[in-house]
Amino acid sequence: MNDQEFFDLALKVIGRRASDAEREQLEALLASRPEFKTQFEGIRDDARLAKKVLPLMEAAGSSSGEFPAYARERLLTKVRQTLGQTQPARARRGWNWRWALGFAVGAAAVVLLLLPMLTRPAEPIIQVAMLDTAGPVRGEDSELDTLKAQWKHSEVRTFDKAGQVDAWRTDWPSGAKMVAKVIYNRAAGEVRVILYGPSKPMEKAFPVGQDLAATLRQAADFIREQTGK
Amino acid sequence: MNAPDLQRLQRGDREAWVDAFHWLWPAASGAARVTLEARLPSEVEDVAIAAVEELVEKVPALASIDEFRPLVASIAHNKAVSRLRQHFAAKRGSGRVESPGDQPEDGGEFPEAVAEDSPVAALEQKELAERLGRLLAELTSPQGEVLADYFLRGLSYEEIATERGVAKGSVGVYLKRGLAAMRRIWGRGGKDV
Repeated sequence: MNDQEFFDLALKVIGRRASDAEREQLEALLASRPEFKTQFEGIRDDARLAKKVLPLMEAAGSSSGEFPAYARERLLTKVRQTLGQTQPARARRGWNWRWALGFAVGAAAVVLLLLPMLTRPAEPIIQVAMLDTAGPVRGEDSELDTLKAQWKHSEVRTFDKAGQVDAWRTDWPSGAKMVAKVIYNRAAGEVRVILYGPSKPMEKAFPVGQDLAATLRQAADFIREQTGK
Repeated sequence: MNAPDLQRLQRGDREAWVDAFHWLWPAASGAARVTLEARLPSEVEDVAIAAVEELVEKVPALASIDEFRPLVASIAHNKAVSRLRQHFAAKRGSGRVESPGDQPEDGGEFPEAVAEDSPVAALEQKELAERLGRLLAELTSPQGEVLADYFLRGLSYEEIATERGVAKGSVGVYLKRGLAAMRRIWGRGGKDV
């Protein structure tokens, strides 16, 4: 019996996967060849170690498991406190431009919002906002685009404080019979729809998974179902 | 997902860190789960988040991005072990930390991970991270997978050969070499730590 064959047999016995005949074969070997006994004990120690170390090694090399969105702010705060700046200066300058652009787009959107009020009063007015308490990060622009693509005729507002959103959600457009407010909360990973109409206000939340656009479609379907439009 | 850029992380670049959280999470939560899943599964996320927080503190001293995942896994593991020990101490009502010989009252034996003579629990974070990193680098594919298939998933040589597309005769060779690598890094049975 060579080394590899002995190893395979020993491992089978240690793992309690051996037949009676294989166990007897090993016992006979250990009795007749003392050097195999030391080898067997070594394999048994190695197997014991493997069972303890492998789970951790698998974890360290794993790529599955979804990072919970709620933890992001806490960890970014830690990064900020420990390492200082958490945002490249270039990105910040870009954001100023985006604010200016956003303001211009916002002004244009007000006009767009007013038009349906005057011409089609029975249609629900849809107002959209994004709450991002973390400030600008990569991917945010594409998310804004996704929101704009879903509700092409609505202004998309961005807020970085929860209090601002609370004020915005209770601010009704005057003269509107039906208003749908859509709030995308990035940190919470949720899209919330609030419907204000002749009857009691209605509210529903949609968790955002991998696909924001799909969640927005669900929200839009909900608005259509509830308003009949 | 690609590894984030070390220098950007050390500068505190927000975008790099957001990516890094996703990249690090499987290692942190996986290591916490190994220890806590059976007794305290609700604590897994808390421990993993705390481990990433602690990793952030160590980032200025790190020289390579390859150190990040083994380090966060080892931090998470050690935190999870502490949490489990506290849990058993609280169960006993004395508030003291268990000694290795003690048995918990809530049934069964002390979990392997909590025992102070465990080759994994006995290591300091830094040393554990170094060994994990070396092991990950040394166990090239399919050696690591074959070891996990046999020792963690309980597959037979035949099943592993089919699963990994290797000859049945090679499975034992991979196992023998894999255990030898582990022994080189950890010491025989973890006894030399």
